[in-house]
Amino acid sequence: MSETTNKWIGQNTIRPDGAPKVTGSAAFAADTNMPGMIWGSVLRSPHAHARIKSIDTSKAEAHPGVKAVVTAADIVDFPVDTPFPLGIQDMRWMCRNVMAREKALFHGHPVAAVAATSEAIAAEACKLIEVDYEVLPHAIEIDDALAPDAPILHDFIEFEGKPSNIAGTLEHTKGDIEAGFAEADVIIERDFTTRPVHQGYIEPHACLVSVAADGKATIWSSSQGQFMVRAMTGLLTGIPQSDIRAIPAEIGGGFGGKTIVYLEPLATILSKKSGRPVKMVMTREEVMRASGPTSGSKSTIKIGAKKDGTITAAEGIYWLQAGGLPGSPIRGAVGCALAPYDIPNGRTFGYDVVSNRSKVAAYRAPGAPIGAFGIECVLDEIAEELGMDPLDLRLKNAAKEGTQAVHGPTYPLMGYVESLEAAKAHDHYKAPLGPNQGRGVASGFWFNAGGESSAQVNITEDGNVVVTTGHPDIGGSRAGIANICAELLGIDYRRVSVLIGDTATIGFSNLTGGSRVLFASSIVVTESTNNVIGTLCALAAKIWDIDPEAVIWEDGEARPAGANAGQFPPLTLEELAARANESGGPIGAGAQINTTGAEGGFGTHICDVEVDPELGTVQVLRYTVLQDVGRAVHPSYVEGQMQGGAVQAIGWALNEEYIYNKNGHVDNPGFLDYRMPVASDMPMIDTHIIEIPNPKHPQGVRGVGEVPLVPGLAAVRNAIHDAVGVRFNDLPMSPPVVLDALDMAEAAE
Amino acid sequence: MYQFNYQKAGSQDDAVSALSSAEDGKFLAGGMTLIPTLKQRLAQPSDLVDLSGINDMVGIQDGGDSITIGAMTRHVDVANSDVVGSKIPALQHLASHIGDPQVRNRGTIGGSIANNDPAADYPAAVLALNATVITNKREFAADDFFDGMFATNLEEDELITAIRFPVPEKAGYAKFPNPASRYALVGVMVAQTGGETRVSVTGAGQDGVFRASDIESALSGNWSAEAAKGVKMSDDGLNSDIHASAEYRAHLISVMASRAVDAAG
Repeated sequence: MSETTNKWIGQNTIRPDGAPKVTGSAAFAADTNMPGMIWGSVLRSPHAHARIKSIDTSKAEAHPGVKAVVTAADIVDFPVDTPFPLGIQDMRWMCRNVMAREKALFHGHPVAAVAATSEAIAAEACKLIEVDYEVLPHAIEIDDALAPDAPILHDFIEFEGKPSNIAGTLEHTKGDIEAGFAEADVIIERDFTTRPVHQGYIEPHACLVSVAADGKATIWSSSQGQFMVRAMTGLLTGIPQSDIRAIPAEIGGGFGGKTIVYLEPLATILSKKSGRPVKMVMTREEVMRASGPTSGSKSTIKIGAKKDGTITAAEGIYWLQAGGLPGSPIRGAVGCALAPYDIPNGRTFGYDVVSNRSKVAAYRAPGAPIGAFGIECVLDEIAEELGMDPLDLRLKNAAKEGTQAVHGPTYPLMGYVESLEAAKAHDHYKAPLGPNQGRGVASGFWFNAGGESSAQVNITEDGNVVVTTGHPDIGGSRAGIANICAELLGIDYRRVSVLIGDTATIGFSNLTGGSRVLFASSIVVTESTNNVIGTLCALAAKIWDIDPEAVIWEDGEARPAGANAGQFPPLTLEELAARANESGGPIGAGAQINTTGAEGGFGTHICDVEVDPELGTVQVLRYTVLQDVGRAVHPSYVEGQMQGGAVQAIGWALNEEYIYNKNGHVDNPGFLDYRMPVASDMPMIDTHIIEIPNPKHPQGVRGVGEVPLVPGLAAVRNAIHDAVGVRFNDLPMSPPVVLDALDMAEAAE
Repeated sequence: MYQFNYQKAGSQDDAVSALSSAEDGKFLAGGMTLIPTLKQRLAQPSDLVDLSGINDMVGIQDGGDSITIGAMTRHVDVANSDVVGSKIPALQHLASHIGDPQVRNRGTIGGSIANNDPAADYPAAVLALNATVITNKREFAADDFFDGMFATNLEEDELITAIRFPVPEKAGYAKFPNPASRYALVGVMVAQTGGETRVSVTGAGQDGVFRASDIESALSGNWSAEAAKGVKMSDDGLNSDIHASAEYRAHLISVMASRAVDAAG
């Protein structure tokens, strides 16, 4: 880590959410209750694809204990021919995702919801709703959806002049791709597939909504953005945003999956109709069937290089599953795929493919791991073909300051080369390997993001500090902000409380996502804190009767700037807070900014595996994540992000997948059948933090949380190849798959 | 969960009479299967008769050439038992790898065997070690106790009180855990007791735990990992599901048997 004189930035201070979480007192979304509260339950489609001809809710409404029923007729319709973007979402698709409208598009798609005096009555009443379905043929996999005779999900979607399940495309190009391949000495082209995986947050979606007699709604829910909850719920229910107060609960994991609403609009309408507070909590099965996993994909990757390793051209074509409604993360796939490299001639192209699956949601660097997987696998093969060390091949082609990326931007100062050099120099890269063991490397990129953030910094009457920001904390932002505010004020971090405001108590703040929260919120916190320091200095100047310019703030106290300013004993924060009314009154400042200056992040992973040739199992023996984080404001949280991303990548690579049966139903909608790794499956993930401070940020922050998922799929796969000589191009590399491939390789010899 | 009457029995006789007088009663041991089943409303018993207060069904007794484990003894207590560790280390190893710590802190050997989950670990130990299942009415030889998936030859009001394991010359257990649930995708126990070789397989069979007679024959003549591995198991009657095909399970049986032999020494 780079040397600084910081006292708190860079310290592993005690996490403000630690004690409540460890002792079980943290209030998650399902922990809030109200007097008179009733329970909502969702009726879900039993078919993967069906036209809804009619819905009769009369029997459910007459059922004792039932207080309200909602169907698509109660939800604001956004016509399919008029785009209505909200962030990266489109309300045309959101209104059809929270409740099936013309058609049920996947097994588990909500069709109606009931609120009743108990969960059991609500569930029973759902069964009394009569839905007349016209069952339609379904398409689950990409190839099914692209087949000439595929069932078309949406007749309003056309591609190349014909009804199609291709809902959109995105292309990046640079240079002359054909000329580039013509210059190459070696060209390798391969096809890859990745499977859809769920974010796997432990806390299911949950909310409590109370619409009072005056029509004002209060929403308690677990999300990655209370302002997103307010906006989407307002749009889907027709309630003005000023009449909705969205209060964020402590969040039990999100990883991108809580950046859209599922239950909140339903509970709001049920509460409005019934006049009672309505609570809704998904079961794990509902989470797995009906909340968004990330896309499954297929891709074709072609890379050409000269004998010295110089890449002359690279191309990646990607098809990503969107689920039943448009919106797969093709931007992340085609934007991040080639981002680590200085490539003269490049092209990436992505297709957004709808099929009868639950609509995908963001998952940690959405699309980027899919983009990087095939590229990093083909680079491994090129390195082998050329007899080059795979890190040397990457160093030869590494993007650096001034490189123009295939996806457009010209990079400023950044630390990709440093991550490769650190990997090469790392003990791990030189450690000996035993039989059936292998080592793989891969790199990855994520855009990171700025955007809207708000903060308020208030000095309490006793001279301590309360900071309020508008972003749910899913990765340590409260701890990071406490460090930064304490650093600026020159006081102990324990005197700074950091809270997450609700939509009524803090200004608009965009989603927690894109690795943007500490980047953006520390900009507004810095501006607010500096304004507070200005107020404190002005107060001291007034007390001393000198010019405010002659006061400086150091180590938590106001001091005369120098001998010429006069001889006064310093005034501490506590003393000034106590005397606030001598000039201007309460001390506090806020800032609301659409932040800019976010710069991308790069990382390189080293993975060692051992393959059991009798069982086909793959054990990760050692794993090192090396990443440029800009500035590690709270290093143990940064390490936790790097470790967590790597673990999610290992799970995606080795075992996780959604398994559909022939009826188009998910066969493994729970943790007894969905193969997510647990702690005992993993080695300790080693981290190597590189700090190339972002010059456009006051503390040098880049964003940390998403990059570490990106390289992992290929790092594991390349390690397996090194161990056993077999190249797997399809995920997951589960034991039966690996054993089959080993047997085939043996038979071929 | 539907409503039910809860009764806590103070003795074996209390438990049996409470169950007999219930309309549709069930014994509650550790509850590791029954409680989730109730929570999902997959069962609707009229009464639960809780066995946790019956003191003479708990504990591990060293009988010299056998060990008797009370039916209400928790997995964690078997895993931590010096007696089991010194006399049948394979059984200790098996108990210490059931589920996760929460399950081992609640689950009981009697509950596991009475439930006879086709992927549970203990049924493999009972069968391979040729244990005797002791009930309030009689004693079962291991081969006579299990009766297919989730089924045993227990009568309605019959209560397992203890399991008696003869001390083997050698025994080993090797499990391939399901990567999601951690139940045995295939678990194999091998044992030599009084000159007899027995091999049991859990997790793989459509009818639950079974003895792998081909591997028993191979090991009887040649107690070695290679002999076990050399047996090509048929996939007839084996499970095929989203986690593994019958062919893969058949392959795993031979490999896990060889590893169990290695573990047995």
